[in-house]
Amino acid sequence: MEQENLSPEDSLQLIQSMIDKAKNTVADNSFYFLLWGWLVFSASIIQYILKVVLESPYHYLAWTLMFVGMIVSTLYGVNQHKKRKVRTYVEEVLNYLWIGIFVSYILLGFIFARLGWTNCFPFYMMMYSIGTFVSGRALKFPPLVWGAIASWILAVISTFTSYDANILLSSLAILVSYIIPGYLLKNKYRHMQLHV
Amino acid sequence: MFKDLDPILHSQLRLAVVSLLIGVKEAEFTFLKEETNATAGNLSVQINKLKEAGYIDVVKQFKDNYPQTMCKITPAGVKAFEQYVKNLHSYLSVDVAKITSRK
Repeated sequence: MEQENLSPEDSLQLIQSMIDKAKNTVADNSFYFLLWGWLVFSASIIQYILKVVLESPYHYLAWTLMFVGMIVSTLYGVNQHKKRKVRTYVEEVLNYLWIGIFVSYILLGFIFARLGWTNCFPFYMMMYSIGTFVSGRALKFPPLVWGAIASWILAVISTFTSYDANILLSSLAILVSYIIPGYLLKNKYRHMQLHV
Repeated sequence: MFKDLDPILHSQLRLAVVSLLIGVKEAEFTFLKEETNATAGNLSVQINKLKEAGYIDVVKQFKDNYPQTMCKITPAGVKAFEQYVKNLHSYLSVDVAKITSRK
């Protein structure tokens, strides 16, 4: 890009094109949605099989899969942080949001361990929606918003159903709020990279 | 003709750098280089001019043993950019509010 005399029209065009470029630099967050989506989905299905089909008293051990998510997320996050050449305000706010959600999940685990797990699923389904909803609005990506709304509806429904049914409802909630929007988000970023 | 336009910003590369930085929290030198297609030498000179004018902050640090230069627009830079766009508006009969509101 050489220096030269700019007309006001050229200046405006340049400002517009640079602002557009900066707008398209939001990092691909789909990895986290897919990682946690598939881990929670798998844990729900494994717990259901252990509890309902095999009648094992150790069905809750299926959720130890979450430790895999913590390790993989941390390693991936550190690696991505090093790679990023630009930081946007939206990314920073979303990072803090997800840290807050992560701490809340850990606290929910502590709270239910103290008070009993019987009614845990409506709360978890409600939690799935928060990060998805805010991310969807911030990234202007409606599938995340619709997934969040669907998971909120499932959270209400789960207050009318049994614990066993709620395990399956939880897997459905994570499918609509993390997994499906996660794949759509991944496709969007792939498409954006091809056309930048 | 363009006496009201800030001479620091009224240069293709410096305006491109400020326009990129106005929408982000901070950006690496390499990001600015890729997006503006400028040479490292020219970009470095223009970044120094913006820094001397107080429009951007430049922090040099090491990341994994490699030098890294982070650039960030300052409040004075934001003000100067807004004034520059306003002055452009006085030359043109177009609505630039659309552009500034998108940052």
